[in-house]
Amino acid sequence: MIEAHNLKKEYKMDGVKTIALNRVSFGIKEGEFVTIMGPSGSGKSTLMHIMGFLDRPSSGTYKFRDKNMSDLSNDELARLRNKKMGFVFQTFNLLARTTVLENVKLPLIYSGISMQKEKEMALKALESVGLSHRLEHLPNQLSGGEQQRVAIARAIVNHPSIIFADEPTGNLDSKSGQQIMGVLQNLNDQGHTIILVTHEKYTSEMAKRIIYLQDGKITSDEKVAHRRFATDGFTK
Amino acid sequence: MKFLNSLQTAINGLKANKTRSALTMLGIIIGIASVIIMMSLGQGAQNLIIGQIISTGSNTIFIEPGSLDKTKSRGMMDMMEKFEIQTLKIKDAEAIQKDPNVEIAAPLTFGVSRVVYQSIDKRITYMGVTPNALEINNTYSVSGRLLTDTDVKITARVAVLGHKVKQDLFGDEDPLGKTIRIKKINFKIIGVAQEQGTQMFQNLDENIYIPITTAQKLLLGISHVRWITAKAINEEKVDEAVEGIRLILRETHNIYNPEGNLGKDDFKVMSQKETAEMLTIITNVLTIFLSSVAAIALLVGGIGIMNIMLVSVTERTREIGLRKAVGARKKDILEQFLIEAVILTVMGGLIGTIVGIIGSYLGCLIIKSVGIDWVFFISLPSIALAFGVAAITGLIFGIVPARKAANLSPIEALRYE
Repeated sequence: MIEAHNLKKEYKMDGVKTIALNRVSFGIKEGEFVTIMGPSGSGKSTLMHIMGFLDRPSSGTYKFRDKNMSDLSNDELARLRNKKMGFVFQTFNLLARTTVLENVKLPLIYSGISMQKEKEMALKALESVGLSHRLEHLPNQLSGGEQQRVAIARAIVNHPSIIFADEPTGNLDSKSGQQIMGVLQNLNDQGHTIILVTHEKYTSEMAKRIIYLQDGKITSDEKVAHRRFATDGFTK
Repeated sequence: MKFLNSLQTAINGLKANKTRSALTMLGIIIGIASVIIMMSLGQGAQNLIIGQIISTGSNTIFIEPGSLDKTKSRGMMDMMEKFEIQTLKIKDAEAIQKDPNVEIAAPLTFGVSRVVYQSIDKRITYMGVTPNALEINNTYSVSGRLLTDTDVKITARVAVLGHKVKQDLFGDEDPLGKTIRIKKINFKIIGVAQEQGTQMFQNLDENIYIPITTAQKLLLGISHVRWITAKAINEEKVDEAVEGIRLILRETHNIYNPEGNLGKDDFKVMSQKETAEMLTIITNVLTIFLSSVAAIALLVGGIGIMNIMLVSVTERTREIGLRKAVGARKKDILEQFLIEAVILTVMGGLIGTIVGIIGSYLGCLIIKSVGIDWVFFISLPSIALAFGVAAITGLIFGIVPARKAANLSPIEALRYE
């Protein structure tokens, strides 16, 4: 599903060149649940942004479903993000003063779906995260965990094949975090590919595979030996 | 993204900041309203002026003493001098009337004096006229009779009252046969004219008409006239009549002027058409000038929109980043912010138009209250223009912020704190 070859990303910050990713290569298959781990500044967010078509590499090739990113225009990337990818952020990024239902609909208004269908799909997505009773609430009337579940509903509303979650539990208490991880594991069981960025060891072990990054390089890439399950209850 | 969605998104964006949206609109409202008010007042002034001139009839010609030589013009001095020039006489009017293109010519003079009837004492304008002058104005009597050629010939001390003068001096009393004193000289009232309204900015109902000879000899002590009004036989003959009058007056005034140099003449001949054209140019210039000032207000309003939209884009950077992350293309973001700007201006334009119409109407009431015969007038083109300008302002001043928003990279926008 994903093929990365010699990915490199350089930034120029105040004239100083910084290498965020240094010749990174790997592949991810359909249905995987991969955690990208590493200390801050290791390039894990940069990598996720490139994988999610939000940013372009300085060099190297990145293919998503055999489509080479360098062949695609910004608008084509936007279309693929819309149809095939879902994003969950640490800070939820819900639109303030906008109801839960409208927030979840957001990706659909950019995909040319009829208004009737829009509502149907949004309701279904909210049902699957257990928030059917909060449709007309505003984000600031919800708890952090509920807000993140709205964000997940938004990420899955368009039936994407891959979901990117950037520190989804970072702003949550451990109980809510546990719930969110449960939702993500569920989605993976239903066949969604999930890419999780985190620096918490405990959370990382809920995935099936962990890629470690340090100073822009992959230092290890292995299967999780003893996978944790959110349904097992909280033990840190 | 469907247009309805864009519209909904834009409306939500504006609703989220009601006070700010309203204040932004205020700039446009003031701009549009002032453009409409200025154009309405300009058009009203023009209608008033043209109406006053047209009311004398489109084939009217005015003959005044004085020269058209601009090199000799000395402003106020010239104005004063005009009344001292004594060259225009009653016999000039008689000579002019003989021109085949002139239907009728009437000499006029006037003065302002105390007029006394019993205990009532007023300052009133008296017009020294011949029957011709009354004929040109289509004056008729509602009671009694008008002046006759005999009255003029014998310097009769008789007077015809304007409609309002009759009301002021006599009220409901019948004035016929009564005596009034003008400048301490007794005049017998022989008739009352019908209501005539204003003409050339003068309320004819406030005049007293007396024979021109009586005015000259007994009241003013002069032998010349102030001006002559003539009428061409029809509109097409006006220019020929003007030329004919010039030739006649040069002859009677002994002016040798074969090359037709108007500077050499001691009189001015002007057709009503020329006067109207001249005044139209003046009011047009005035309207354009006032509208330009108002347009600057509109420009300032437009810049206000750009300013607020730029702030709004900065404030909503994360929102823009998120929209891009979930699939908004550049075009979608551009559309969203442009629609916001256009909604602001169009709504501002709508309110501004209403305010402008109300303002023009209030202006009309104020002008009417000082006694000017003003007609409330709003032209559809002026509203269309104001609206068009509002929409274009919104687009132009919306483009810069909208482009700024559309060009944000999703990742930069999402990271923005």
